[in-house]
Amino acid sequence: MQLCMRLCAAILAAGALTAAAEEQPWTLEASNWEKGKDLLPEPVVKRLQKGEYWFKVVSADPSRFHHNYSQAFWDATEKNAGRYDLDEKTCGLKDKATDKIPDFVFGLPFPQIDKTDAKAGCKIAWNFTMAGAMGGGGGATFTLNGVDTGGQFRRIKAFIHTRGYQGRHFGPLKDNPEGLSGEAIAGALEPVDVEGVSTLTKRYWNWDGQDAVWAYVPSTRRARRVNSASRSDPVAGLDIFADDLNCYGGKVEYYQWKLVGEQTILAPLLQPYPFPSKSVSPTRQLIDTPYMAAGYEVPNAKGAPWWIQQNLVFVPRPVWIVEGQSSDPYYNFGKVIMYFDKEMYRIYWKQVHNRAGEYFYTAMCGYHFVKNDETFSAVFPNLVVGVNDKTNRAALGGRYQSSFLEQSWDPSYFSLRTLTHMTD
Amino acid sequence: MTARGTALLVALLATLAGYLWVVELAPRRAAPPTAAEAPPLLPVPPAAVARVELAEGERRVTAVRGERGWTDAAGRPWSEGALSDLLAALGALRPLTTVDPDPAVPGDYGLGPGARRLELTAADGRPLLALELGERNPAWTGLYARRAGEPAVLLVGGVLGWELEKLRQAAPEANP
Repeated sequence: MQLCMRLCAAILAAGALTAAAEEQPWTLEASNWEKGKDLLPEPVVKRLQKGEYWFKVVSADPSRFHHNYSQAFWDATEKNAGRYDLDEKTCGLKDKATDKIPDFVFGLPFPQIDKTDAKAGCKIAWNFTMAGAMGGGGGATFTLNGVDTGGQFRRIKAFIHTRGYQGRHFGPLKDNPEGLSGEAIAGALEPVDVEGVSTLTKRYWNWDGQDAVWAYVPSTRRARRVNSASRSDPVAGLDIFADDLNCYGGKVEYYQWKLVGEQTILAPLLQPYPFPSKSVSPTRQLIDTPYMAAGYEVPNAKGAPWWIQQNLVFVPRPVWIVEGQSSDPYYNFGKVIMYFDKEMYRIYWKQVHNRAGEYFYTAMCGYHFVKNDETFSAVFPNLVVGVNDKTNRAALGGRYQSSFLEQSWDPSYFSLRTLTHMTD
Repeated sequence: MTARGTALLVALLATLAGYLWVVELAPRRAAPPTAAEAPPLLPVPPAAVARVELAEGERRVTAVRGERGWTDAAGRPWSEGALSDLLAALGALRPLTTVDPDPAVPGDYGLGPGARRLELTAADGRPLLALELGERNPAWTGLYARRAGEPAVLLVGGVLGWELEKLRQAAPEANP
């Protein structure tokens, strides 16, 4: 009985601590903007001040938030301590035991970041890459919406399917004859003028190889190879870029990375804690998520037409501030400033300058977590709000209501044959 | 074709070639240099800079290059990153445009008395760059600036504002 009472007291005390850690939600808006001036990138504060944006701030219990990733992931991360280094020339990941690229990595390769380390920025980028890869692969059907001050001017419905070879729970896949770290097929479904336009991307697990990207246009019935630097080109003429997926869509080796600071920032999340998934086949899991309506879709909405009105919360999170810059002369971006979660290694915001040093664009990248038990978890990018401050236009990407995780794609699915027969 | 027809055809071709040369190609050859071709704000290598001074109202941030790296006016060491990034940015940034060649009210751009001032000098005391720094433009993409002693208001890339903020954060007094 005494033991029971002690246990009850302990549970109550733990509950009280959790409640204390999770403060009441509050709204950051124009009337109290000063409270947010150090919690957001400067161009975003400017819009907050003007009443164009506001933020439902929800705190999350740090311990519970940590467990948004599976215990298997954190155990692997702990074991990775001291195992990896970086190739001096390329910033590629190196196994200390062999001085070569590791065969397979799971978990964060660099559990501890020393902010005085000159390589810290690149190590943070590797942690980001491997955290994002833990799901293994999957897909979703989503929309891209071009929005200006008058409302929506273009809508594209598209899909993306991915397979990851590195970073996945449950170990490496048996067959990887091309030596890939991942591959993806994406295609436009609507409207008619872009229907069937699709791309196949293969990313190689090496230090110096460029992505192989093919684009297929149904009217020519040809798939042609395109430059992987096109990740910085606007997608379908909208204010959004292929490199906005996860706020950075390239290989780590494409950028020079530099850690320049740290702060707390508001992290856009569908909800602070994981969504469950449901099995629909031995290899496939479905995840249902709510739609994030934007101002242009909600009658009498306040603020910018592209600002999310529903189902988005902002959790204050500690972040590393890292600069990234490409040396590829065909890449359109100059210095990119990114805000990486210090623990979960997601990029929540990025500010982009062009090659002339002119700031022009901020992307907000939202996520949700998926976890059923401690053996598996995934983190999904579910939202990009890309705002071109130069033209005062924006694009929304993502906002899907259903997504899936797939552990075993048909071996021949990610191929030129699939790409060229998509509209058959 | 008759000789007269051939002569007419040659004359027509010559006229067309002349048109192309004079009307279409000549303006391109004579085009003035674009903003991208303007010299960078800092026209010397970063290694030539021996002193950096940023004055913002009462606050003055100073960095002096010595044998053991950069120190502030009181001899406290600077960490390398923010200074080298600023010098690299100044060496790469070119004015995006001249916003106003001779403004009647420089204060409209945040310039004039009370504006921030950035000065870079060489080891022999020679000024390498002296900039008066104003406000961000309305779209936040750039920063108004003008060279000391020159009336013209320039627009320079907003990345300069970012580098100056890093400099402030990295100043030895900000990191005791």
